Amino acid sequence: MSFHIAFLLLSVSLIVPSPSAQDEVADSVAVSDSALVVAAPPTSVIASEHEYDDGEALDLSWVPSIDDQLVGGLVIAYRVYRSTNGGELEMIEELIPGANQFTSGELSSDSSYSYVVAAVTTSGEFASNATAPLSPETEWLNYEKKWLFLIGLLIAGAVMYFIETARKGKKLFVRKIAGLEAIDDAVGRATEMGRSILFIPGIQDMDDVQTLAGLTILGRIAGTIAEYDTKLFMPVSRSLVMTAARETIKASFQTAGRPDKYSDDMVSYVTDEQFGYVAHVDGIMVREKPATVFLLGAFFAESLILAETGNSIGAIQIAGTARPAQLPFFIAACDFTLIGEELFAASAYLSNEPRALGSLKGQDVGKALAMIVIVIGVLAATIASAWQVESMQSIVDTLNSVFSTN
Amino acid sequence: MRRQIPLFITFFVGTLLILSVFIPPMETLGEDFTLFFDIIAVFAFFLGGGNLVRVHITKLIKRKPDWGFSVVTLVGFAFVLIVGLFKIGNPGDIASSVTAEGSWFQESFNYILNPLQSTMYALLAFFVASASYRAFRAKNREATILLVAAFVILLGRTPFGMALTSWIPESLSIFQIPNLAIWIMNSPNLAGQRAIMIGIGLGVVSMSLRLILGIERTYLGDDRA
Amino acid sequence: MEHFAIWVAAFLTMGIISFLYKDNAWYKLSEAIFVGISAGYWFVTLFWDNIYGKFWVGRGDDAMLYIGAFLGLLMLMRLVPKVGWISRWPLAFIVGATAGFYLINYFSSNVMRQVEDTIMPLLGTDYSATTYDMIGNIVIAVGTFSGLVYFFFSKEHKGVFGGTAKVGIFFLMITFGASFGYTVMSRMSLLIGRLDFLFGDWLGMIK
Repeated sequence: MSFHIAFLLLSVSLIVPSPSAQDEVADSVAVSDSALVVAAPPTSVIASEHEYDDGEALDLSWVPSIDDQLVGGLVIAYRVYRSTNGGELEMIEELIPGANQFTSGELSSDSSYSYVVAAVTTSGEFASNATAPLSPETEWLNYEKKWLFLIGLLIAGAVMYFIETARKGKKLFVRKIAGLEAIDDAVGRATEMGRSILFIPGIQDMDDVQTLAGLTILGRIAGTIAEYDTKLFMPVSRSLVMTAARETIKASFQTAGRPDKYSDDMVSYVTDEQFGYVAHVDGIMVREKPATVFLLGAFFAESLILAETGNSIGAIQIAGTARPAQLPFFIAACDFTLIGEELFAASAYLSNEPRALGSLKGQDVGKALAMIVIVIGVLAATIASAWQVESMQSIVDTLNSVFSTN
Repeated sequence: MRRQIPLFITFFVGTLLILSVFIPPMETLGEDFTLFFDIIAVFAFFLGGGNLVRVHITKLIKRKPDWGFSVVTLVGFAFVLIVGLFKIGNPGDIASSVTAEGSWFQESFNYILNPLQSTMYALLAFFVASASYRAFRAKNREATILLVAAFVILLGRTPFGMALTSWIPESLSIFQIPNLAIWIMNSPNLAGQRAIMIGIGLGVVSMSLRLILGIERTYLGDDRA
Repeated sequence: MEHFAIWVAAFLTMGIISFLYKDNAWYKLSEAIFVGISAGYWFVTLFWDNIYGKFWVGRGDDAMLYIGAFLGLLMLMRLVPKVGWISRWPLAFIVGATAGFYLINYFSSNVMRQVEDTIMPLLGTDYSATTYDMIGNIVIAVGTFSGLVYFFFSKEHKGVFGGTAKVGIFFLMITFGASFGYTVMSRMSLLIGRLDFLFGDWLGMIK
């Protein structure tokens, strides 16, 4: 869609979008017949640096043609033309009437660019003056995200502060989480019944944080399993998860002093395909009849198929996921369900290691902060809108700009 | 050393990805990572696929129960690999897409894989029914709330819900089931979703930090191994 | 040929459904076919998309691709017992990247964004809200707050705090009920789709 300058000359309007376009507009209008739809070109076209980018964009703004009216306007579109390093003009975008700005992307900071904006009517194009050549610049810090950085730093700082406090030996209280308290019993039960434990880390790969959460919990549970000398099997749907799970279990067995009991056969790859995996896991569930089933990770539609099958064989089931849409099915079909945040907290909780527990405290600081901001924000917004209190409105505006992620 | 290097890699890469969000020239790092990951995943398949083959061949050789089905799995696996990688039975030349209509690869998807997938997925209808029945029998307060909300939303999505409550006068129209369903979705449901999402966000921050700082490290195996 | 293929599809469809009655040879056969074919299918797709598509067709000279391939090769070192430990490097790389990527993105989209969205006037701007909207707004604020109280780890659920946490559970249960109810219908239509195949495409009883 690149329009060459010569082509434009031949087009209906005979108007050239070039630095000298203004004069030619006047000329062409003078010789035109009465059917020609003439419009004033856009004015004050300014190209400026696009903020906080990698030197790949420029912002354009202009005052729309005075003939660009909502009703009965003559302008049917705006066309943006770009010249690179003083070269020919190329059309890069067509915009709707009323448009007055455009961000030109995919540029290079090594080149300079000049722009022309033309108002398009049924008879042709009426071009603005060209902007002065400008090169986009690379910025090294995105100040727009300063609040994300600062608040993130505050919460990460709180997590690290409590990790350090705990490391120094200060006792930190963490309330009991029912699903996690049940894990030891669940493992014990399988041992007593002489049956196995099935661990399912979801169906996503290692690039999903829920899978990592599932594996960190596996690390804790595997230690207990090694001590009790219970049989563990873990079919997985991703090759990388297979590798990481083997490392995890092996390390836990080693730590528990039972390296001889470890075998690579505990973890096996089935298939990456969601329902193929489920068909296989369902099959071995009813054949092996594990006493305990763990479903910890990222689950999709298969959550209920797996959990119901596990339920039908009478296994104790402990599930957890951060996918809200699947949580109700786990709640309906499992004995214990770790809801969202609890999944990520589980390994820290189970480790009983002070530093890990400290990190949970840091999380609570985040929650407290969120709660305080919500209370202040909602009250201020309500007062501001009910009684038109300026100062309250400014609090709301400040909070909105701080927490805005755009 | 064997453990120190991986821990350092995790720390370095993790920190870099966090900072990249704030540094425009590094913005595309997240995309690069996705690219790396996709490629590593293909290589890793040799480990997974290799394991699949090994497990079933062992079963076959040792004549374990159901070894016959292992043969089926192995044949199916080999068949698709050969047909797909060498584009056997593909209409057109070698450059044509492996999923071109009429290719053996695509036909095995259409008539074997696709019906299997959809049927497994469809089993959910039965499992939803049995799960609902169980929730219905669990006589505690939480289960009751869950069921009532589920029931209202379910009815609200059918013409049945409207027919059932259309007698309610306009002034109390909120209690007509379709309206009530919308209200539940937009208010209490939204509140619950938000609490869960904020919790998850903070949980991820904390767990990721534990991983980056090396407090959580079992996935790296053990030194002595 | 197509007639035969439909019979195969019907045979496999019923093999899977038979699992509802109990585990049996028909299901085991369908399962074995499913696992073998799908694992192969997945690898073939990965190969053409990620290896052929990226190294040959796509951006063949991009250094990033070769870093990825290098990490992939390190992963395969697992197959060599003596240097198997090197495979932990790409693993550590993936874990670090996943942790860093999710940390900042989830913090932004799940924490910052949700807090921002919750800040709103209970009465609506300029009293524009109806009574129902108002109740709705109050419910959202109270529900979000109490839901967060439920997730608090540092304090036992006792007294006022425990009461608020109970309110939080109440909201969570409504949320779960809502997604449950929302999903049921779509699951039923999946089943209807399969029955349609069996009785329509295969047996020709539904036209």
